[in-house]
Amino acid sequence: MEEFNSGEEVVFNPDEISVSVKECIEGVIGGTDYNQSKVNQWTASIVEHSLTHLVKQGRPFKYIVNCTIMQKSGAGLHTANSCYWDTATDGSCTVRWENRTMYCVVSVFAVAVAL
Amino acid sequence: MVSFLLFHSPNFAGFVVEDVSTIIKESVEATIGGNAYQHNRVNQWTTSIVEQCLSQLSKLGKPFKYIITCVIMQKNGAGMQTASTCFWDNSTDGSCTVRWENKFVYCIVSVFGLAI
Repeated sequence: MEEFNSGEEVVFNPDEISVSVKECIEGVIGGTDYNQSKVNQWTASIVEHSLTHLVKQGRPFKYIVNCTIMQKSGAGLHTANSCYWDTATDGSCTVRWENRTMYCVVSVFAVAVAL
Repeated sequence: MVSFLLFHSPNFAGFVVEDVSTIIKESVEATIGGNAYQHNRVNQWTTSIVEQCLSQLSKLGKPFKYIITCVIMQKNGAGMQTASTCFWDNSTDGSCTVRWENKFVYCIVSVFGLAI
């Protein structure tokens, strides 16, 4: 059986992911205002592009990408995550973005695959 | 090779959406119930919901890693959209999302289970 760890990182790197997720968000909703008829496409687009980016890195992880877009209208919003996993190899990263009319919160969870 | 056999053994029931859905509903009801949105308490609510769900799920004793997210939003006319996408093993992994509301708040809880 081939050795997997041939110098490749198996640990989750949140900073790298944070940067690529921000680019995805900017690319999809940067400069737009909240639009109810488009928000569905936006969230789908953001999660798909983020996931494609992550998978391209070719790391031995399963991924879950979650995106929430909320209109700025004074309502309160609170989110929490809890994870039951292997803290040595798994990790998550949350990116908060906003413009004048909306908030966007993207969370990426990466769970190491045992090979 | 050993883990491959485990997934196909008759005792491995996979991710059971109904069981997880029940666990989520009970924990949201018990935490928020009929309460109105309170800025100084909502932090405890989200924490309490995810922790309760997680402890009930781990009691099921299945060979899964879990990720639980909880969103609580005040009802005041704002629009909100959430999407998730997952890169995993379709035959063993699964998710369950419960949307709950009362007169004052919306609460959305998602549980993702990834087989070990």
